[in-house]
Amino acid sequence: MPTVLVNGVNREIKAPSDTPLLYVLRNDLELTGPQFGCGLAQCGACSVLLNGKEVRSCITPLSAVAGKEVTTLEGLPARWAKQKKLTGPEAAHVLHPVQQAWIDEQTPQCGFCQNGMMIKATELLESTPSPTIEQIKEAFTKSGPSPHLCRCGTYTAIIESVQRAADIMARSIL
Amino acid sequence: MTGTLETLAQGQQGTNVDVFGASLSRRGFVAAGGALLASFVLVRSSSAQEETPSMRGIPTSKLSSDSFIEIHADNTILIRTGKSDTGQSTVFTAYPQIVADELYVRFEAITTVISGDTDRTPDGGGTFDLLGHGMPNIRKAAAYVYQAMLDVASKQLNVPKDQLSVKDGIVSGGGKSISYGDLVKGQQLNLTIPVMGDIHSMFGLMVTGNPPLKPVSQYTVVGKSFPNSSVVSKVSAKETWVTDVRLPGMLHGRVIHPKTLGSKLVSAGTLDKSRFPNAQVVVKGNLVGIVAPTEWEAIKASQQVASDTKWSDWRGLPTDARLFDYLKEDADWKSVPAATSKESKGDVAAALASSPKKLKTIYQRPYLKHAPIGPTMAVGDVRPDGSIHVHGHTQNPQALRTEIALMLGVSPDKVTVHTYAGAGHYGRSNGGNAGAEDEAVILSQAVGKPVRVQWMRNDDLQWSTQSSCAFAEVELAIGPDGKLTGFQIDHYMPAMQDDRPIGAILAGLPTMPAPNEKGSLFGMRNQPSDPWLYGATPAVLERAHGGPQIGQASSPINVGLRDHSLRTPVQYQQNFPRELAITEAAYLAGADPLQFRIDHATEKRAIAVLESARDSSGWKTRSGFANGSGPTKQGRGVSLMMRGGAYWACVAQVTVDTNTGAIKVDKLTMVVDPGIVINPLQLKRQIEGGAVMGVSMTLREELRFNDSTITSSDWISYPIATMADLPEIKVILHHHPEVGSYRQGSEAASALAAPAIAGAFFDATGKIARRLPLKPAYVKTLLEA
Ligand code: FES
Ligand code: FES
Repeated sequence: MPTVLVNGVNREIKAPSDTPLLYVLRNDLELTGPQFGCGLAQCGACSVLLNGKEVRSCITPLSAVAGKEVTTLEGLPARWAKQKKLTGPEAAHVLHPVQQAWIDEQTPQCGFCQNGMMIKATELLESTPSPTIEQIKEAFTKSGPSPHLCRCGTYTAIIESVQRAADIMARSIL
Repeated sequence: MTGTLETLAQGQQGTNVDVFGASLSRRGFVAAGGALLASFVLVRSSSAQEETPSMRGIPTSKLSSDSFIEIHADNTILIRTGKSDTGQSTVFTAYPQIVADELYVRFEAITTVISGDTDRTPDGGGTFDLLGHGMPNIRKAAAYVYQAMLDVASKQLNVPKDQLSVKDGIVSGGGKSISYGDLVKGQQLNLTIPVMGDIHSMFGLMVTGNPPLKPVSQYTVVGKSFPNSSVVSKVSAKETWVTDVRLPGMLHGRVIHPKTLGSKLVSAGTLDKSRFPNAQVVVKGNLVGIVAPTEWEAIKASQQVASDTKWSDWRGLPTDARLFDYLKEDADWKSVPAATSKESKGDVAAALASSPKKLKTIYQRPYLKHAPIGPTMAVGDVRPDGSIHVHGHTQNPQALRTEIALMLGVSPDKVTVHTYAGAGHYGRSNGGNAGAEDEAVILSQAVGKPVRVQWMRNDDLQWSTQSSCAFAEVELAIGPDGKLTGFQIDHYMPAMQDDRPIGAILAGLPTMPAPNEKGSLFGMRNQPSDPWLYGATPAVLERAHGGPQIGQASSPINVGLRDHSLRTPVQYQQNFPRELAITEAAYLAGADPLQFRIDHATEKRAIAVLESARDSSGWKTRSGFANGSGPTKQGRGVSLMMRGGAYWACVAQVTVDTNTGAIKVDKLTMVVDPGIVINPLQLKRQIEGGAVMGVSMTLREELRFNDSTITSSDWISYPIATMADLPEIKVILHHHPEVGSYRQGSEAASALAAPAIAGAFFDATGKIARRLPLKPAYVKTLLEA
C-alpha cells in the first residue's frame, strides 16, 4: 500500500496504483481544493505541488508520488507557517500570503480554476520572490504542461494578486 | 380585513396590519429569540409569464414558504434569493448591499445569504438580469420590511411613524430609540409580501406593489466596494463545491454519449467483469451509463464499454467549413416570420438608391461554447419514498425542478434541487441547466442509489449546447455630407433556448418541446435585440430572421446542434455586425469612427461613454486608416452598445503581425454607465473578466464540427485565451445616481471586444475581417488578397 506525505502527514492509500492522484485526493483523502477540469493536463484546475513543483494531479498516477511530498491548497497555510517558523495560534490562523492576496484583490469570479492559479503562484514565488509581469505571464502560460486556463478571464486580477502576495511575503521577512 | 396597530400590539393573533399592500401579523410570542420573517403570498399570475412555452402543461407545485428576509433578535439579518450565483458575486455583494440600504443597516448586518435551493428560497428565477432592471425582488422585499419595522417601532415606542428614523438598525424618534433586534425580541412577526408570476418559469416570482423606496441620494452602502463573502471560503478550500457532494452509498457515474448527433444505439458494449467487478452498465433508450463505487473504476469501465458500443451512422451537419454557405443558401428562414425593430423608420430603399457611397456586405459569427473550466456534474438521488433530490450547479433551480418532474412524470413537489458553487457557465449550457442533472437522476433511478455523474471534458464540449451562430446582411449608404442616409440590417440566427435536457432526450423520456414555430417568447423566432443608438440616421430597417436548429430535424434522435443562451445572447450576434458596419461606414465617409458614432448618436449617455472611451484611451481623432509602415501595424477600433439600460463603449488597440497574421490586443478600454454603480471593485473585476472572454471569442473561439458530430473535444480543439493573450484592460465606471437606478453592469463586457478589435484590424491594415474568429490563417488570407 503506497504511502504519500500529504500536507505534512503520511497517508496510506488503498486505491489502485494507477489511480490519478486527483481522485485519491478528492475521494479518498477528502482534500477537495484540486478540481477536475479536463483530466488531460490542459488546464491546471487540478494542480498540486509535488516536492515543491507544480504538477497536474489529473494525469499523475498514485505510483508516481509514493514517498514524495504533496501539498494541496489545503496545505498552503501550514507550508507557509513552516517556512516562516510560525507556531501556536499564529500558525493556526495564518493563510498563505497567496491566499490572502487572492482575498484582498477579490480575484475569483466562479473560482473553479483558482486552486491551480494559487498553486502556480506559490511555486513561482518560492523561486522568484519578486516576479515581473512578464515572468508571471511566463509562469502561467509556459512553465507547465499547458497554460493555466480561466474561463472567467481573471488573468488581470491574478497578476495583481501575485504581485500583492510578493509584497506580503517581502514584508513578512523577519 | 385589515387590522390596526393596536390589535397587533395587543397580540391578537390572526389580525393583520396593512403595510403598503403587504400584511404584518404576529404568530405568537417566544421565550427566547424572536424574528420578523418576510415571506410571500401569490396574488395572481401574470399572463405574460403564463405563456412561457417551456412551462406549458406542467402542474404548479406548492410554493416554497421560505422568507425573503429575516430580522433576528440578535440584530443579524438573513436574506434568501432563488437566483444562484454562478461567479458574478452579485448575490453575495450587490444583494446584501441593496437590502442593507433599504433597511438602513450596515452591510455587515446581513450575515447570511441563502440562494438557489428550491426548498429554501422563495422566488425562483434564473441567473440573468440579477439587478432586475433596478428592481430586484430583494429590494422591494426589503422596502416592505423597513416599513413594517417602522410600524412595529412606532407602536412600541409610542412615537408616530413619520417621526422615526433609522440608522445602523437603530430606530430613533421622540427622544427614544430601539434596535431592530429588540423590536422583534420575544415575538414571531410575519410580513406577507404580495408576489405574482410562476415560480417554475424562467423568470420566477416577482414581488409586486409599491412600497416607498429609500431615496437614491441617501444610499450609504450601495456604491462601496464590499468584498464577496464566498471568496474567502473558495480561496481557503472551505467551500462546499458541487464537486464535493458525497452521499451515503453514492456511486460514481459516467455517460457514454452517442457517436454522432444523430446516432441511435445499436448495442451497448459488454462490461469486462474481470477487470471491473464492481461496475454496472445502465442502458435506457440511447443513453448508456456506467456506475461504479469508485470514480477511477467508473472512468476506466466507461472507456472499455465505449470502445465496444455500436451506434448507427448519421451525417446531417453541414460541417464547420460550409457553415456560412449553408446558412445563406440552404437553411430555412421562412418558417417563422421575421421581426422588425421598433426603431425602424424612413425609406431605406430610397436612401440607398439616391446616395453616392454605399456598402452591401455580410458579417458572420460561428458557433461558440460556454466552455466552463469544470465540466458539468451533478448528484442524482431518487429515493425509495419517491422523492428526488438533485445536487448541482444550475442556473435556474426551479426550472430544472420542473424539467426533472416532467421527465419522470411526477409532480414538481417531489423534486428538490440543491445548489452549490461550481464552475461558471455564463448562461445555460445544457437544456437550461448545467448538464448532468437529468442523467444523474436517470442512473440513480435505475440502480436505486445516489449517483454522481461527472461529465468529462469531451462530454462538455461535444454534448452541451452551443451559442448560436449567426450572420447579418447589411446595406448602408452615406450622403454627400458624409452622414448615414440609410442603414439596413437583416440578422439570421438559428433558434436558441433549447430547454431539453440531453439525458432525457437520449433516454426517450418526456421533455419540453424543441424550439419550434410556436412559442411567443422564443421558439424558432429571432428578435431585434441590439437597441439602435444612431438616432440621427434618417432611414433605418432592422429585421431578425429565425429558423430551426441545424441538423435537428434530420437527426433520428432529434438532437442536432442544440443551442442555448451564452452571455449577452442574441445581442452579441447582432451587435458585432452592426458595430463593425458602422466602423466601415465611417471609413467610407472619410470620418473618424468614434467621432462618426458621436455624430450619429442622439442619446446623451451613449455620447458620454464614447467621449469617455476616447479620452481615457488616448484616442486621436483622425480620418482614414492608420497607414503604418513595416510588417507590424497598429490600429484602433471602437464599439458601442446599450444593454439592459446600461451604456457601454469599448476602444481596442491592436498590433498586427502581417508576416504571421497574428493579432495582439494591446489594450482594451471599457467604459460602462450602468446608472448607479453598486460595487465598484466587483464590477471592475467582472468587466475585466468579460473583456478577456471577449478577446478569446474574437481571436480564438470557433466550434469545430464535421458532417456528423462536434469535433471540438478539448482545450486544443477549442482553444480559449490564456494569460499570454491578456491585454492591458482599463475599466472606466460612470456612476450616475441621477439616473435613479442600477442596470446590468457586467454581462455585456464580453460582447464589445469583437467589433472593436475587428475595427482596429481594419484601421491598422485597411483590410476588413467580417468573419469571426480572427485567427492568423484567416487574417493572412485577407492580408494577401
Ligand atoms: S484537470 Fe488536470 S490539467 Fe485540467
Ligand atoms: S474564476 Fe472561473 S474559471 Fe477562473
